[in-house]
Amino acid sequence: MNFFNRKKKQPGVEPQTLQEGRLRASPGWRRFSKNRAALWSLRMLYVLIFVAVFADFLANDKPIYCRIEGQTYFPIFKEYGIKLGLSQGDEAYFRREWQNEIYEAVIFPPVTYNAQQADTPNRYTSPFGKQAVRSWRFRHWMGTDGIGRDISALMVHGTRAAMLVSVISMGIATLIGLLLGSLAGFFGDERLRTSAPRLLLNLVALAAGFFYGFSVRAFAMTEGSLFTEVFKSLGILFACLLVANLIAGQIERRFKFSASVAIPADTLVNRAIETLSSIPTLLLLLSAAALIQKPSIIYIMAIIGLLRWTGIARYIRAELLKIRSLEYIEAARAMGLSEWRILFRHALPNGLAPVLVAIAFGMANTILIEASLSFLGIGLPPESASWGNVLQNARSSPQSWWIALFPGLGIFLTITIFNLIGEGVGESINKS
Amino acid sequence: MLQYLLKRLLLFVPMLFVISFIAFGLNQCTPGDPVEAALEGTGVMPSAYPREYKQKAAALELDKPSFYFSLTAVAYPDTLYKIIPQRHRETATALIAQFGNWPEISGYLQQIAVFKTKLDGLRRNPETKDQFNLAMYATERLPQTHQPASIQAGFDSIGLALALKPALQQKMSPEFETLKQAYRQISSRQTRGKLYIPTIHGYGFQNRYHNWLIGMLKGDFGTSLKDGRKVSSKIKEAVNWTLSLSITAILLAYLLSVPIGVYSAVYQGSKAERVVSIFLFGLDSMPNFWMASLLIIFFTTPEYGMDFFRVLGPASLPADAGFWERFFSAFTAMILPVFCLAYGALAYISRQVRASMITALKQDYIRTARAKGLTARQVVWKHAFRNALFPLITMFASVFPAALAGSVIIEHIFNIPGMGQLMIKSIQGDDWPVIYTVLMLASLLTMIGILVADLLYHVADPRVDLNNKNRK
Repeated sequence: MNFFNRKKKQPGVEPQTLQEGRLRASPGWRRFSKNRAALWSLRMLYVLIFVAVFADFLANDKPIYCRIEGQTYFPIFKEYGIKLGLSQGDEAYFRREWQNEIYEAVIFPPVTYNAQQADTPNRYTSPFGKQAVRSWRFRHWMGTDGIGRDISALMVHGTRAAMLVSVISMGIATLIGLLLGSLAGFFGDERLRTSAPRLLLNLVALAAGFFYGFSVRAFAMTEGSLFTEVFKSLGILFACLLVANLIAGQIERRFKFSASVAIPADTLVNRAIETLSSIPTLLLLLSAAALIQKPSIIYIMAIIGLLRWTGIARYIRAELLKIRSLEYIEAARAMGLSEWRILFRHALPNGLAPVLVAIAFGMANTILIEASLSFLGIGLPPESASWGNVLQNARSSPQSWWIALFPGLGIFLTITIFNLIGEGVGESINKS
Repeated sequence: MLQYLLKRLLLFVPMLFVISFIAFGLNQCTPGDPVEAALEGTGVMPSAYPREYKQKAAALELDKPSFYFSLTAVAYPDTLYKIIPQRHRETATALIAQFGNWPEISGYLQQIAVFKTKLDGLRRNPETKDQFNLAMYATERLPQTHQPASIQAGFDSIGLALALKPALQQKMSPEFETLKQAYRQISSRQTRGKLYIPTIHGYGFQNRYHNWLIGMLKGDFGTSLKDGRKVSSKIKEAVNWTLSLSITAILLAYLLSVPIGVYSAVYQGSKAERVVSIFLFGLDSMPNFWMASLLIIFFTTPEYGMDFFRVLGPASLPADAGFWERFFSAFTAMILPVFCLAYGALAYISRQVRASMITALKQDYIRTARAKGLTARQVVWKHAFRNALFPLITMFASVFPAALAGSVIIEHIFNIPGMGQLMIKSIQGDDWPVIYTVLMLASLLTMIGILVADLLYHVADPRVDLNNKNRK
């Protein structure tokens, strides 16, 4: 199980080399790497991450490097500079048609189109058919869609959307799932105890946080940018809870209240999981997506993250149920460590391994959900590059098989990769 | 057993309550005016629109509070829900959120109404028609906006219209001045402090949620906003399609996956088995909407010479069509969708069967059975399979909801008028009475599916104590 504990430092040894050394030498890794399919899937995942991160350098209508009339340009880097406000382009720069320039020297990205660009003369061109392009470098290797967008460019930029959605929404889901699942598993129904005034104050603070964070600020949230406003609101909510707990601490000390009220954490969390998983996911997501006026990748990530934590919570709960009765937890308790410290420093880190399985399968699921929602036209905005969006276009033109084949293949392969990794990790844990 | 069943059924109640909260809460947060959506495309004359709007709003109970109580700031009056064109209510809310002085704001809104009635009295004068129209348009827009700039623009255009015609100017000027005065008072007498004092308003049982819930319990699911049909009749048609799709698919998947799973466990390691296993793994991660798109491309268009299915979805038949004609129409419409739903479940189930068979075949009793000289068939089917049956049953709990959810997208693609398509159409049209009901019904079906699986668990292995089963 050492494989998953590589963050732990040991005194006297250089931590960096220790991490590397321990990871490669750990039995968990060795078992995992014996599974060839899983190992290759992991390598493929690295490739996907590379494609997602460097999408702009792999599919772009601008060259990476070029020299025109004795002047050297790095248009893609410059584009980043302009976006970040570090650099400014003059009018001649913006009006330049990069694909029709005469270059003295040039390095183009492998795909010479970006995801938005419509190559109007080439609509619905087959990858093998005749294409109205200047040279082989500008060929549409995977054909084009109905408005002349290059499918391979859409595939590259779609990878970025898929990875972004799956990583961030699984991040949200993991946070929620770990917290709730470990509360349920570690404390059960009896052990999470608190004093009456603290419980009361927390409930009041929750109501107050809701009121001051969301009710009062409803107007500000509709006027300003929703994303930052929601963060401010959450900040207010947490501030309320913090104040309540500080006051509760004082009251407890002054009036000698003991922690006598047990919170049935396990029952509450289990009921929440059961309820959430009894609503068919896609239906719930569809009706949650109805709230959104303007589709955006942020909403999709938030919605999926907030609804898909149940799997992770189940895994960590089952694991902590086992761990909490182990001897070293008993020992920690005997040493006088607080319950919370035992949970976060000792119990939870040892229960994380199975969660990796849940996360891997969850990633596959998220990619599928994002693609389904985009396919139904309520996921990412229709103009943005997403595999689901491209696949949706295939319905309007059945004779263009390439529009359906490639994005579907992308979804399929990514899901397979995550499933294989999940299985590999699961097997390597079970064998130990 | 009976006790357990009752306990589980009782647990349904709080869960359905929570789901109803979720559905209702989602509706409350959804932007857009349901009355406008309902009146859209019905061809109501503009002159009759306000009256129609009022009637429709009353019919949809939108003039009632939405919940038993509300937690708001003191600045908001408890009768805010009574302002019925929704846009006016939104303006009032936004103005309160900015200035916090409801008496002044309501005075301003009332003054707009007074001004409008007075102005309306001058409609008949043909001489001032253009100016009247301009002023009227601006007046009607006023209660729909809360932004200072657009309110000022409204005042400007009214002022301009009045200035052009002395006849108008004479009659309307005092009212116009009071109106502007009323608006100025809003910003001069701000009470923003009131926005930060919470208060709870109780509304009693006369609220929308209560009425909806009671209606639900009585079996009255309301009427669709789009076509005015009863939701229950709409759903009844849809449920038939969805259930026959998903149950056929599950049956098919179970029937095929048992032999596949068992034989691939028995011949584990052989070349054929490995090919089958890889194939099944691939099928498992194959998104069904991709498969559906590919099937549509290759099997419904004449492009590739394989157009076996010409139409998507059930063909519209004449009303007097015979049973067999109907049956065949439905049957051909369902072949491709059932396939799309079945293959995923098939891959999943047979992989599970294979795994549990492999464990079963390693047991000691199998060696004993072999040693006794039983035939291979007897060993596999009688001794191993009986014991590997277990996960097959519990899997129903996850396969059934998955098939229900999966049918949403499949129905949409293949144009099958089931629950999924109904749901997508309703969401696109903000038809919330239908959305609620489908959401509740689908959840109920899922819960029943899980319960059935738990009961079968007990039937398959009586040793399992239902009450103490530690479910993961």
